[in-house]
Order: sequence, then structure tokens, then C-alpha cells
Amino acid sequence: MVAWAKQGHEAAFRELVRRYERPLFSLLYRMVRDRALAEDLAQETFIKVLNGIGSYNPQFKFSSWIFKIANNAAIDHLRKRDLDTLSLDGSPHATTPEEMHATALQLGDRGESPLAELEARELGGAIEQAIARLRPEYRACILLRHVEGFSYEEIAATLELPLGTVKTYIHRARNELRGYLGDRRE
Amino acid sequence: MTDLRLQHLTPDETELWAQGLLPAARELHLASCGECRVVGDRERKLFRELAQLPRFAPEFGFVERIMARVRIPTPSGSHLGPDPDS
Repeated sequence: MVAWAKQGHEAAFRELVRRYERPLFSLLYRMVRDRALAEDLAQETFIKVLNGIGSYNPQFKFSSWIFKIANNAAIDHLRKRDLDTLSLDGSPHATTPEEMHATALQLGDRGESPLAELEARELGGAIEQAIARLRPEYRACILLRHVEGFSYEEIAATLELPLGTVKTYIHRARNELRGYLGDRRE
Repeated sequence: MTDLRLQHLTPDETELWAQGLLPAARELHLASCGECRVVGDRERKLFRELAQLPRFAPEFGFVERIMARVRIPTPSGSHLGPDPDS
């Protein structure tokens, strides 16, 4: 499909978007927890990938390449907006309970618009909230592993992290998730 | 020689078990170790919850919005489609 797109077949471009739109949008949505923003980032990712398809190196998996660009877009955005310090628990840099409260993400913060209601419905479940509490790096690893079914090696290539780091992130993320979900069940 | 039946599962082995991929030799340990069984069951439950996460769809018209901003290469090296900088 990529080779076909490289030859300039519009149908191949469309097929690539159709194939990846849900996986990519879902990852971005869970990373930034904002539908409109996730869609903007997904759109920018596709435009960057498709306009740069000529430079794609087939030695790497296309999925790794496209997810790498999407994840970088999400992380860049989170850093710019300081959203990486926002979690349901508040900033990891907060040193007092007041600071933690001030930086904590509230699901209802974005008002009662239909979009906010949709987001609350889609991302309001216990497992989604537990994922939201993970650091962005852990979140990306756990989503690529368990939602997209990437191998550890593919995640390392996608996120440009050493394999050992990926394994550590995933083990820690799972421990945290079990802890958060355990809190809920007790 | 270490008896594999006595060794607790490593995190990697627990993951393999949760995926149904643990070698039979290590299953023997699990059958007799309540501690590893509890850890494995918790892992398997988490895996199941994560695997059931839905994929979300962007708003209608997503493909068209992208295609309107994509330059399609031609064999001569030029591009068809809008100039993204214009």
C-alpha cells in the first residue's frame, strides 16, 4: 500500500488514512484527553506522513513510523501546554497538597457541552481514568502494547527508547494501573 | 541444577502466562504456587480490560479534510494537490 502511495495513487493515500485513522486517533485521544485536539494532532500527523511518503524508509515498519510521528506530536503538545504535569493526581512536581490540587485534572473541567459529555462518557470508565493517571511516557507504552498489540521491540523503535526502558515503563505502568484499579475495587 | 518448579515466575513469565504462552515446564510451578497464581490472575484481568478498550473514530469527513491538504506525488517528481503553504 505504501509503495502504491509512493507511486502517486490517490486511492492508496485514502486507504492508508482509513486503515490508521482509528488506531492513531484513539492513541492521541487517550494521550491528550481532548477530542478536538486529538483530531487536530491526528490530522497533522497524516498530512506530515503522506506529504513525506517519498522519504519513508521501508526498512522500518510503516506503523512504527506513523505512530512515532503521532506520539511525538502528542508529547510536544503536552509539553508546550504543560499538560504533562496534569493528571488526576496533579503534577508530579507538586510539593504540597495545595499544589497537587491546583494542578489536578478534573474530568468535568471543560464544562457541560455535548463534546465534554461525550468525552466524559468515552473516557470516564475506571480503566480509562487509571490510564489517564499514568505519566505520558508510560501511557504511550501501555497503549501501544495492549491496545495496538505492538511488540516490545516495535515500541522501542516507535518511541526511540532502549528496549530495557520500554520493559521497565510497561512493568511500572501495569503496577500503577493495578494499584489504581485495586483502589477502585476495595 | 535449579529446579524450575520451585522458582517464582518472573514478570516476563507472568506476562506470557497471562497471554497463554507460558511453557508447560513453568506451568508446573504455577499449579503449586498460590502467590504466583494471584499475581498471574491480577495480570490476566488487567490484560483483558486493556484489550477490551474500544477504538474511537474521529469526526465524519476526517479523510476528506486530510486529502484536501495532501500533495500527491507524480512519477515525474512534481505534486498534485494543494500547496500546503499557500
